Amino acid sequence: MSQLPGLGGARVVLSVSELVASLRGLVEERIGRVWVVGEVSNLRRAGSGHLYFTLKDEGAQLRAVLFRGAAGRLPFEPQDGLQLVAYGEVTLYEPRGDLQLLVRHLEPRGRGALQLAFEQLRARLDAEGLFDPARKRPLPTHPRVVGIVTSSSAAALRDVIQVSGRRSPATPLLISPTRVQGEGAEAEIARALDRLAERPEVEVILLVRGGGSLEDLWAFNSEEVARAIVRARVPVVSGVGHEIDLTIADLAADARAPTPSAAAALVLPDREAERVRLERDLRRLIGAMRAVLQRAIARFAQGRDALRMLAPRARLEAQRARLAAALHGLERGMRAAQERGYARLAAAAGRLDSLSPLAVLGRGYAIVWREADGRVLRRAAEAAPGERLRLRLAEGELRAEVRGPEDVAEPKSLGNPPPSPTRPR
Amino acid sequence: MSGSGDGAREPSQEVPFETALSRLEALVARLERGDLPLEEALATFEEGVALSRRCSERLEAAERRIEILVGEGAQQARPFEEPGDTAE
Repeated sequence: MSQLPGLGGARVVLSVSELVASLRGLVEERIGRVWVVGEVSNLRRAGSGHLYFTLKDEGAQLRAVLFRGAAGRLPFEPQDGLQLVAYGEVTLYEPRGDLQLLVRHLEPRGRGALQLAFEQLRARLDAEGLFDPARKRPLPTHPRVVGIVTSSSAAALRDVIQVSGRRSPATPLLISPTRVQGEGAEAEIARALDRLAERPEVEVILLVRGGGSLEDLWAFNSEEVARAIVRARVPVVSGVGHEIDLTIADLAADARAPTPSAAAALVLPDREAERVRLERDLRRLIGAMRAVLQRAIARFAQGRDALRMLAPRARLEAQRARLAAALHGLERGMRAAQERGYARLAAAAGRLDSLSPLAVLGRGYAIVWREADGRVLRRAAEAAPGERLRLRLAEGELRAEVRGPEDVAEPKSLGNPPPSPTRPR
Repeated sequence: MSGSGDGAREPSQEVPFETALSRLEALVARLERGDLPLEEALATFEEGVALSRRCSERLEAAERRIEILVGEGAQQARPFEEPGDTAE
């Protein structure tokens, strides 16, 4: 295609168009699509909506154009002086003979640019009312199921699971896994939020991610994620990065927690506090009922004394039956209330049992004592030949007679000496 | 093995815990006012005990359930194995 004249051949004269066209072919073929980083200058928006600018660094510069369609999709407004990363194809604009980068995608690079993009998006969504406090939904205090949007391998998830296990082990968790950084992560996060909204049992969603650089957290600064949060059927709690990181997702969320663990603590009730509250309520209930009954009994006694002389017996009986029913009800209620206490007691007894000497016997040891005086034996010398002994095993007892001391002195290396049965632990 | 944890489970119309708890507290307050007729007091008391019983069962339901969505939609979930779940 690009047949340039050799030195030895006859002179071939090209038209400018021919030369530039073959140069263009060369550039497009050899360079094609590239990622390039540089600083924006001479930015100008044409009436057509296309964006023209120069991308430069210390050593060189390159003209670039971003066509209207792509320019409209930018999540931020480029400005002169910003560091940007551009993706596009290098070509040659033939009418002017200019090298040009046709930019298809542009993203901020470096703190300044990211910060600017953040502020711009924040201002735009805020103006739209996405961060309006009036839009925020209250969190359920006892969610039936908690949805979690995060990376399934992240430390953030481990933190949430740990906190939930401590505070509220009975609350089911449903994880909607997603990538949280890298190309296209924002669309995945939005999709993961949408998926949870399809599960009717989910009553609140945690959107969490551990700490990272500004770039790492960037997906949480996207419009896509913000909109997914706002359209979620249930409230969303964000816990992204560390305390100092504020993201667009945090602003859009119904509640913001500084870290993943804090987000979990915000939606999961503390079971121990709940127990205390429940027990206090029950005690008050029983106390109040007792007071009611005492008053009733007092009134009954009074009435009975008054009636004793004139009233028909039947009425008295009716009153007495009513009172008996009341007492019966109280008793039933209190029994129900106590059952839970018994269950706890049983659990405690189970723990005690594992410490008792009987548990040691279960492992094959025996307690030996002299039948004559019931003394527990600890050394062979304590029993004379012919003496009667008793052996207490895990189950049942045996009677035995001493045939004599064994000659072995002290057992040296039979492993560990058996634990003294009278002193467990 | 795969896709056993399908969505349709417990569409229970059970009263939310917080509702039950505040109902219980309302009952306590009513009983503590002390002006109820005996029958009504008893009914209040019994309802309160039943409520507290249910709440406490809810609290003690110890079975831990962690699931993770699999596949494209939200229909399928499987139990989630905690990564790096070392003993202690």
